[in-house]
Amino acid sequence: MYSSELIKGTLKTIILKLLSESDKMYGYEITQKVKELTGGKIQLTEGALYPTLHAMEAQGILTTDVVNVGNRIRKYYSITQTGKKVASDKVNEFSEFIDTMIFLLDLKPKMG
Amino acid sequence: MYVLKDEQVTFILEDIRRNGIESEELQLSLLDHICCVIETEMLAESHFEEFYRSILPRFFKRELREIQEETTLLLTFKNYYAMKKVMLNSGVFSAITFIIGAFFKTMHWPGASVFLLVGIVSFCFLFLPLLSILRVKEQKETKNKVIIGIAAIFGIIISLATLFKIMHWPFANMMWLSSLGILFFVFLPVYFFTGIRNAETKINTIISSVLILTAGGLLFTLTNLRASRWTDESSYNSDDHLRDAAIFASEQSQFAYKTDTLTLDLKELKVKANSLCEKIDDIKARLIRHTSHGEEGLTEAQIIRVYGSSLNFAHDFLFDNNGKAKTDLITLKNELAEFNKFTNAKFSVNRKGLLDLQNVYKFGEKEQGKITWEENNFSHLSIAVTLRNLNQLILNICLIEMTCQ
Repeated sequence: MYSSELIKGTLKTIILKLLSESDKMYGYEITQKVKELTGGKIQLTEGALYPTLHAMEAQGILTTDVVNVGNRIRKYYSITQTGKKVASDKVNEFSEFIDTMIFLLDLKPKMG
Repeated sequence: MYVLKDEQVTFILEDIRRNGIESEELQLSLLDHICCVIETEMLAESHFEEFYRSILPRFFKRELREIQEETTLLLTFKNYYAMKKVMLNSGVFSAITFIIGAFFKTMHWPGASVFLLVGIVSFCFLFLPLLSILRVKEQKETKNKVIIGIAAIFGIIISLATLFKIMHWPFANMMWLSSLGILFFVFLPVYFFTGIRNAETKINTIISSVLILTAGGLLFTLTNLRASRWTDESSYNSDDHLRDAAIFASEQSQFAYKTDTLTLDLKELKVKANSLCEKIDDIKARLIRHTSHGEEGLTEAQIIRVYGSSLNFAHDFLFDNNGKAKTDLITLKNELAEFNKFTNAKFSVNRKGLLDLQNVYKFGEKEQGKITWEENNFSHLSIAVTLRNLNQLILNICLIEMTCQ
């Protein structure tokens, strides 16, 4: 599992990328999906996830949909058009960042 | 999969609320998340509350409230971190430039004013406003917000007043006194009476109020600083010496006239010089009467020792409200100029600088611009210095007379 410091800077990118690939997701689903996709190497902390989700909703990057699930309410998040632009910008930025880091730290990409 | 009962869901929701999650949306989000975790991970034979307590620490480092704080921060204060960074940097910058400026000023090195100006301005218009905005946002109670606001206003005005005082700019004293007024009559009462009502803050409030009162009192004692007694005394003495010298020179020149063969020019010189000296003596006499409020029988030496260091009397007597010289000085200057012209024409002796009426650079510095002879010699000066400069004029006139004879 990676350190929370490494994940902190990429939390927004991860959430936006996931949401842009699916119709809508709720908080717990997002954490589980990330865990599943990364084989448990990245586990989003709830303490960071919800503040970020609420902030992105306020900024108009995400919209929400409230659904009754048995005895409680579930909030589904989906990405807006603005959000899609932000998502692709963030992914591109991160990709360039990785290239720079590979060069900077002199890492040899692992061959297939 | 475990299925949560209604009362268990209510229990979790209540517990989230108790732990400081205030916003309803966040409560519901966390509730759903916790329920999902329990439903997928809890084994049928586990105890519900024990399991709930065991998973709760996943959500925070120290306490659950952190999620609420982080959310509020991100929602209300998008630029919080940037502001905090600018605040800290400007604070450090102001402190360093201010200390350098103060050190330069103490050492009388050039550039002190620039450092002080930059330091105080960034302190007043970057550091203090940002600090108070951030602090106000952190406070929940209105009275605390008000106290911070007043403190910030006080801090800004007194810092600017200090800057204005150092730079000798106008309105410094007014700003200084109004900031102390805010401190004593607005800040201190509000701070004291809000703090004293709370049992927890009572003692601290009393201690801080005493400290604020003392510090404010110390600042107030600095309001009208004057030159030391020694400086005053030396200017009184120098007037005494100058007066003696003028009387001596006057007697000497009068003595030289006591000959039967006075030329016409010399006769005219005598009349003109005597008339000038009488005029100056008259101004002195009226100034002394104005200063002593009509009290009779005080000599010049006594007057300057009682009222000598007061700056207002002499200036108000010789200058109007707009800072322009009154008729007394203007007439005197014109007659001195005429006297100069006469002595230059009739007697070709070198008396350069004895009666120089030219405009001069203020404080001898070109950047400060030129000021007139009357401003240079009489504006905003104490009684003692004004009288001394008038005596100097009499002495110089007598010296010119002596060089002509």
